[in-house]
Order: sequence, then C-alpha cells, then structure tokens
Amino acid sequence: MKSEGLPEKMSFDPAGAAKALQNIAPKSLSVMEVCGTHTVSIFRSGIRSLLPPGYRLVSGPGCPVCVTDQGEIDTALSLLETGAVLTAYGDMFRVPGASGSLSSKRGEGLDARVATSAMDALLLAEQKPDREVVFLAVGFETTAPATAAMILEARRRKIRNLSVLSFHKRTPPALELLASDQDLSLSGFLLPGHVSVILGHEPFRFLAEEKGIPAVIAGFEPDQILSGLIDLALQQRKGIAKLHSVYGRAVRPEGNPKAREIMDEVFENRSASWRGIGEIPSSGLALREEFAAFDAEKKFSLKPLPGKPHPGCRCGEILTGRITPPECPLFRTHCTPVSPVGPCMVSGEGTCGAYFRFFKTTGGIA
Amino acid sequence: MSTITLGHGSGGRQSREIVDILLDSFRRRGIGPEMEDAALLPGGFAMTTDGFTVSPRKFPGGDIGHLCVCGCVNDLAVRGAAPEFLGLGLIIEEGFPSGELLEYMESAAATCSELGMTLAAGDTKVVPSGAVDGVYFTGSAFGRIRRTLPLQMSNLRPEDVLIVTTSIGRHGAAIAAARFNLSVEGLLSDCAPLWPSLEPLLLLDGLRCMRDCTRGGLGTVLCEWAETTGLHLSIEEMRIPIDFSVRSVCDVLGFDPLYMACEGCAVIATAPSCAQEVIDTLRKSPLCGDAAIIGRITEGEPGGMVSMRTLIGGERLVDMPFGELLPRIC
Amino acid sequence: MIVLCLAVPYIIELIMDDNRATATSGAVRTEIRTDLIDSPSPGDTVLVHAGFAIEKLSPEDSEELFALWDEVRRLAGENVV
Repeated sequence: MKSEGLPEKMSFDPAGAAKALQNIAPKSLSVMEVCGTHTVSIFRSGIRSLLPPGYRLVSGPGCPVCVTDQGEIDTALSLLETGAVLTAYGDMFRVPGASGSLSSKRGEGLDARVATSAMDALLLAEQKPDREVVFLAVGFETTAPATAAMILEARRRKIRNLSVLSFHKRTPPALELLASDQDLSLSGFLLPGHVSVILGHEPFRFLAEEKGIPAVIAGFEPDQILSGLIDLALQQRKGIAKLHSVYGRAVRPEGNPKAREIMDEVFENRSASWRGIGEIPSSGLALREEFAAFDAEKKFSLKPLPGKPHPGCRCGEILTGRITPPECPLFRTHCTPVSPVGPCMVSGEGTCGAYFRFFKTTGGIA
Repeated sequence: MSTITLGHGSGGRQSREIVDILLDSFRRRGIGPEMEDAALLPGGFAMTTDGFTVSPRKFPGGDIGHLCVCGCVNDLAVRGAAPEFLGLGLIIEEGFPSGELLEYMESAAATCSELGMTLAAGDTKVVPSGAVDGVYFTGSAFGRIRRTLPLQMSNLRPEDVLIVTTSIGRHGAAIAAARFNLSVEGLLSDCAPLWPSLEPLLLLDGLRCMRDCTRGGLGTVLCEWAETTGLHLSIEEMRIPIDFSVRSVCDVLGFDPLYMACEGCAVIATAPSCAQEVIDTLRKSPLCGDAAIIGRITEGEPGGMVSMRTLIGGERLVDMPFGELLPRIC
Repeated sequence: MIVLCLAVPYIIELIMDDNRATATSGAVRTEIRTDLIDSPSPGDTVLVHAGFAIEKLSPEDSEELFALWDEVRRLAGENVV
C-alpha cells in the first residue's frame, strides 16, 4: 500500500498474472522466499490466494531478527543490567532470551528504547553524555551500511559514550548453505530486493550458474512479487537457471558501491551463529579493530553467551524451509505471538507470526 | 501470566484476554457486564466508563480533555444513548502546571456544552511526583437510551452490510507522527463526538449494531464481531476509506492502517434494505462525509473470522492485532 | 512495526549538508541521511531504509520487466496444457 502507487506503464494485471501462473506452473514448483518481509507481503497482499496449488512457497532465513541467536539476545540483556541505555529496532523487543526479552526488561524498569534508525542512538548519546548508550545492530546488508555510516559520524563528532553491539549478518553464506543442501529440492529463489540494492547481482549469481537454481531479485510490492514468482515459473518451464532481476528501478547490477565501501570500512567478516542453523563461517559482521572504541563487545568485555533454546523449538527447520509453521508441534499451542517460544513467531517478519495471523487451519486462506 | 504487560493494554487480542481474566470475579457471581461499548441499564439509561492516558496530551486535532469527553460520548452513542451526564476523575502528578490542567478542563467543558452534556460528578487526586506521568483522566457517562430495540452484537446476521462512518486510523496516525517526530501535512486526529451524526440513524429499524473504533482500530472491531457471533465478515480493501496522510505515516513506520486507533469513527452493521439510507444520512453530517460501505456479513466460511479481498484481487484473513502497537494512544 | 526489510521511496526536497536532506514520502516530511548515496539533489526519488537513503530510484522499470509482462499477457490468454 505504498503512496508511490503502482507503475502505470506496466499495466499490472494481477488477475492476468494468476491466470498466467495457472497456465505456466507445472505440477510442482518449490520456491524459497528468502526474506521474511516477502513472506508477510505475500500473505497480506493476497498473493497466496492467487497461486495455483502446485506452487509451493517455503520460507528462508532472511529475517534478521529470527536468526539472532538466543545467546546474542542474552548478551544484549546483560548489557541492560550494567545501567546502559540499549536502543534497538522495535522488532527486537519481544524476542525471547533465556532471562526475558527487551520488552520484559523494560517492564522491570531497565532502559531499553525503540530506535527507528541508528542515528537515534547517536542523538541519544549526545543528549545524555553521562549515560552509556548502546545500539543493538541487527540486520543484513541492507542495514549494515547505515550502522557503519552512523559509527563514522560518531567518530567525526568525537562521541565517547556510544557503542554498537553488532549482530549484523551476511546473506550470501546462508544462501550458499541452503543451495548446497541435498535434502531441500528447490525450484527457485525469490531474493531480497533491498539486500540486492546494496550488493547488486554478483553475490547471487552462483545460485543459478553453479547450483543450477533459478533466482530472481524482487522488491516487496505485490506487482514486484508477482513478477518474481512468474519469472521463476517461466524459468522452470523453459528448463533454464538464470539470475534475473525485476527490481531494476532500485537494483543496479553493480549494487551500491558507496554503501559497500562504507560498510567495509567499518566492518569485517567473522563467523556468526544463526539461530536454528548454527555457526556459518564468514557470515557475520564485526567492527574492525580501529573502531574498538565503538565496539560494545570490547567496551563491556562481553563474552558470547551460549544459546539454550527451548528443546521443542523448530525455528531452525522453519528458517531453512524444511517445515512450514503448522507442522511445528508448538505452533499455536505453546508458541503464540503473546507467548512466543522462538523468534519466528515474534518478529514482524517472522514466518510463524505471518502464518499465525493469516493462515487458519479450518477453511482458512493459505 | 503473573504481571500485566503493555500488550494487555493495546486493544488487541491480549486486551481481550486480560479483561476476561479480570472480569472472572464478577462473572462467577453472576454480576458481570455485557461486552459492548456501553451498558444498557434497567430504567432506560446507558452507562460507560473509560480511562485516558494519551501521550502526548496535546496532539494535532485535540487534547486529553476533549478526548475524554468524546470517548465516553461515542461509547454511549453507538448503543443509541444520548450524552447527558459526565463523571470525571483526574489523577494529577505533583508539580503539574495548573494552567495546562485548566486548558484541558476548558476543552472538556466546551465539548460537553456543544452536546448539552452536564458534568454531574467528579473527583481529583494528587499523587507524588513520578507516580503518574502528568495527568490521567477517567470518564463515566450516562444518558437515556433513545431506541426501543437494543443495538447489540446478537442482532448481527448474514447479509448485513458493514459501514464505517469516516476514514480510518487518523487518531493513531496523529499520535504516531507526534511520537516519532514526523511532520505530516494535513494530519489531524479524528477525535470528535459522534452523537449528532449517529442520532438520526436510530429511527431505522434495520440498524443492527454499532461500535466505536478505538484502540486496535477497525480490524479489532470486525474481529470481535466475528469471534463473538461466529459469523463470517467479508470486507473489500479497496472500499475502506483511508486518508493519504494516514497511508503515508503507515508506509513510513510499517504500521497497518487496519489497526490504527480511531477516536471519531464508528463501524455500523445494518440490514441491506436501509444501508443506502444510512450512508446518505451519515454523509449529510460534517464529520461523516466520507462514510463508506466496506463489506458485509456472509454465511460463508470461515465462520468467526474476517476475510478481506485485497487491492490486487486476492483474499486474506484479518486477525486481531497483538502486542503493544503504540502504548498510551488514548 | 518497523520491519527490517522496509524501505520506502522519498522525494528529496532540500539538501541540508553533505550527509543530510529533508525529504517527503507522501504526506510525511522528515530528515534523512544521505551518507550512502552519491550527489543527492532536490527532486531525486530515493529509497530510504532506517533513516538512510540507500539508493536513487530510476523513474522507469526495465525493459526486461516490460517483456516479462508482455509474456504474462500472452500466457494469460493461453489454454491450459
């Protein structure tokens, strides 16, 4: 429902798209919608109801909140206990750690605040020079350059009471893992449009060229998603595997080099633990040594805490497209948005949260 | 649960659940309330009570005093009762500027006066600094029921037409804009008393039920109707009036307009035979010029749920919102 | 609320300095950061994520997309195989 409106030239025709899909789609097509926001948009816009029965969508690990390891949440919560102000994107607030969540800690009187931008943390640090302000940096390559730019600005302004706890992660290593998984037989990838704005086409080419799986970069409006889903169905029909983009308005093949430069200036790759998936080498972003003054891990001597997720939680299988939420025994019974067991239920882009809201088992619209 | 959370006050599913638990002591004794906006009392009066903790206290389009009166008036109005008497309780933080408090009282009095409503009872308490944030208002309102056949959820039936009296989400958007420091052209809260607009409708036999949309917005009202009656509500996204400024705020902040709070918008269910008359009558009123039919109640599946035909011609379910969308919205 | 893939188109109104501009998205006017893009100018449409412009948007869709939709129209008219 963007105010910008639908592009006129394209004569976007969703009914025609639905019919075309009926005509194109073979008996079965299994596409991974990598990004959680795609999952939610597909439900919310009603696209799900327009897909032919053979078109199966599975969710991927593209929800940065959902893949934040429980130990990472507990590390963040421990920072609150030091009396620091913790600012984080709203979506992080209800994610459960072992001892509670940002939301519950705020309820106990600890100082956790919602940020809509990394700059909120910087401004808060300037306004409160007597408090330590920490920004909880979560997100993929769409978001990491913004965090980096904020750190550079903080350095320019010589701010001393601000640091960043980086849980930023990189998308391509996770996709590499999924594309190599023999148990998942995917007919295509619907790739996150906004990560691609930063990275361009290159890091995703391997999916088609080496793994032989069609892939399309698409934005998040209904016309974009439908275009992407149709392109994947067409590729399968033609027996080809290419990397395409339907988001040419925003994604240059070379991406945004300036944003990448800024991101690379501040961050370096390191291993990271993805909730439900485990350790993926080179998949996390950590502040470089020269930015140690802004690194909350160093400032507060934080040790990584081990995650102890609920034994029944199957977020990992959800995030890797092995099962859908209704197949998790905790779904709707012990795990609900009100009392979530895992982050997939709690995040605004979480697959389980999306299914909970939009998919009902009795006569519901899938 | 052992403690109350902000989610419990959000107006969505968690609010319903906490209210059910809190009412248990009364229900067990057979002295629990109906679950409508106002109660129809024996003797021909209706009654409602409401608390107001809105932050900021002054917002584009109103303030906490005006909001308090409108909130109570609208709860009465949707049950077909005139706004006649108001009870006002204030809980004031030590150190609060009296000038500001007087502004809110002036606001509340002006709104009452326009409606012919009298302040019949009141109370003030002052608490130490920090015990509340500024000032909280509670209102109770009474008025004579002006319709023989009660307006209630049990009247709802398949084929009934669903109408909103004005574009949705303006109050929520105005508060969100103020909270997040967004400058939004043309955005005012819809906070207004609905009695003058709704009174003419009371003559219509085919009027079934009305509900004041507040916290949780249009989506919450529709879900409550569906879940309480077990009926299926079907609406069309294209027909829901939403102002450009509200859409912009929702786009920027990632909110869904369906759940944005209103404070001057009612949802109405009516027999198909008088739907057009309801629309025509509403549109004569200055506040309801954009009243619109948004859907109907059907016999279809899934019962107890709300489905929406989307802008692109697909279908999706509308569920109750959950979590603390925006605390202290009203 | 504030989902992490959310990026919204804004039109730049005024350049404030090397890293800041005021911009409008529909009826909303706000300050955005421009650190991540080259030479922003008033009138540019940019994609904004978490307070930062991450790219300039082209006014038109690509040829590939038009071609795709031509094919959609053709296929919508086909008989089911």
